[in-house]
Amino acid sequence: MIPRRLQYVVLVLVVAIFAMGGYLVHLKRKAEMVSLPLATRLSAPVSGPAEMLLLYVADDQSGTLRQETISQALPSDPGERGRTALHALIARCQQKDSPHPLPAGADVHEVFMMGPSSAVINLNAAFADGHRSGIGPEQLSLFSLVMTLRAQFPQLTRVRFLVEGKSRETLAGHVDLSSWYDTAAVAESAASLK
Amino acid sequence: MPMKPAILQRLLVMLLLMCVCGHAAEPHHIAIYAPGITYQVDIVVREGAEYVGLTDLLEPLGRLESRADGKKIKLSFNGLDAEFQDGKRQFKLRGEKQDLSANFAVIDGRGYIPVAALAHLLPRIAELPADFHVAAHRLFLGGAQVRYACELLHAPSRLVLTFTAPVNPLIRVEKGRVRFAFRREAVVGGSPASVPYGDELIQSTAWQESADGFELDVNVQKPVTVIAGGGGRSFTIQAAVAAAPPAMAPRVNAPVAAPNGQSAASSGVVQRPVRTLPFVFLDAAHGGGDAGEMLGASVPEKNVTLALARRLQKELESRGVAVVMSRTSDAQLSNDQRAVAANTSHAVLYVSLHASSSGNGLRIYTAMVPSLPAGQGRQSFLPWDAAQAPSLPDSRIAAAALDAQATSAGFHAQTSSVPLRPLNSVTIAAVAVELAPPPGGSANDLGSAEYQARAAAALADAIAGLRGRLQEAP
Ligand SMILES: [Zn+2]
Repeated sequence: MIPRRLQYVVLVLVVAIFAMGGYLVHLKRKAEMVSLPLATRLSAPVSGPAEMLLLYVADDQSGTLRQETISQALPSDPGERGRTALHALIARCQQKDSPHPLPAGADVHEVFMMGPSSAVINLNAAFADGHRSGIGPEQLSLFSLVMTLRAQFPQLTRVRFLVEGKSRETLAGHVDLSSWYDTAAVAESAASLK
Repeated sequence: MPMKPAILQRLLVMLLLMCVCGHAAEPHHIAIYAPGITYQVDIVVREGAEYVGLTDLLEPLGRLESRADGKKIKLSFNGLDAEFQDGKRQFKLRGEKQDLSANFAVIDGRGYIPVAALAHLLPRIAELPADFHVAAHRLFLGGAQVRYACELLHAPSRLVLTFTAPVNPLIRVEKGRVRFAFRREAVVGGSPASVPYGDELIQSTAWQESADGFELDVNVQKPVTVIAGGGGRSFTIQAAVAAAPPAMAPRVNAPVAAPNGQSAASSGVVQRPVRTLPFVFLDAAHGGGDAGEMLGASVPEKNVTLALARRLQKELESRGVAVVMSRTSDAQLSNDQRAVAANTSHAVLYVSLHASSSGNGLRIYTAMVPSLPAGQGRQSFLPWDAAQAPSLPDSRIAAAALDAQATSAGFHAQTSSVPLRPLNSVTIAAVAVELAPPPGGSANDLGSAEYQARAAAALADAIAGLRGRLQEAP
């Protein structure tokens, strides 16, 4: 026979497990509700006159960045302008004929302009977690983001990447994501890709 | 209640320590000498018995395809089919049952063969005769052994060592002793291990062997000189002439030796040791739990980088270039471990090897590190992430040479810089090479022996041509 006291203990434990499970589900819902307005804000269409936007589109076969221009309305706020440019670049890479496919759902959450010379690009988890592994593909993705942002802000000298607001060691196992990128060095290296 | 996590933590640390200590006490690898290749495989200990990875063992010896099927490992080696099962002594070779003499093991989808069964299994599966020196953990395949004879000649007294194949030992002349150390060569000693001569110059010889190589000591009564000859097949130990004339016979470091262009003679009593320093540190990227990219259906990048590193090692050694490898088995190393190993290896060039299904040809990378303030050089203190900065000019020379050679060998080659670990923390000239499929090819081509061999030959030509062009580590 199992002692009565032990039976109570087991009962209490089972109740506790269910209560904690319920609390977890509640927390998850709450977290989703917090992040939802942010996502809606980010994908809101930009109004204003259309401008020519220069994109540096990566091409895996040739291992180069090629310049493409599209017509796009760009906001005047620097951070929003940067985010819109990078969002357009990522969307270009998610098209069917993409020369450098990026994972579905990949996007940039924000671009923080810290004065005229520094910028922080906050990528979403889908961008980094679903990214193909390899020095070549990782380098091309990061360089295309830096070069496209630099085209909007010629005074930009350094860029840093975050993923979901956090610093990360590498993009997908190879290229370093933990320190600042010198935009001039990136431009020089990108020019050597032939 | 707050006690519990602390106790758990302590237990964990103790467990970890026990693992580390347990491993350190065991002999950790087996040296395998086959015709044309010498390599090491790491030993794992399970339930008191020693095992080695089946893939680590067979991959350098031929064409290997292997797949795990639950508790079974099925493989095809040079077209020969074999099947092993976890916990079973028996295995199937060409459908026929054979005995392994100990139980096979499957751990995390990888097959492990008991060390005790090596001498029995290899002749059957690799179709090569095997000779296993159990105590020394040295395994010889296909008659790879190099033997030698010692002949004592008189008036004047001298000992002549004659080898059955050219050798390139590290020779250290000390007071009362000359030590010949063979790290990679399949040198084996005769019986008995110790031979007394009782000569006025040569007292005795003695040899010892381990998985780290073979050593022959010649004990002498007076200062001696070692003279190499016979294309690296013979060495004469004779009395040192007081103030020997400078232009005398080819000296010890004659056999291909000293790739760094460093010279070392050896006459007299206590001498600077004659050393063959490595020229290149080859780092097969990824390994262990870090598989790298999945190339094609089932080939992880870590396997391709290791196979390519082994081929490149062979190509380099056949060009007389001394090599150190970061890993020779499926071991997991951190970026910092790789950088520290490279920085303390005395090598002049670091080459990291990667493979990628994206794009085509050979991509060569140098580190992207902040440029140094004026006046800061190799001797200055630098942040760990920028330790590569002073060597960048040399790294670019190496990258340009690799690019040019790859292009002339028909590869689409591309050179650029990128922030990459551990490249940024390596203090010698450093490049990363990423092999991509041939134009119009697929990820499957990366596993092809022929494609790897073509890439290895091009890289080896370029690296061999860099000797004397790069600054040596301080
Ligand atoms: Zn890799």
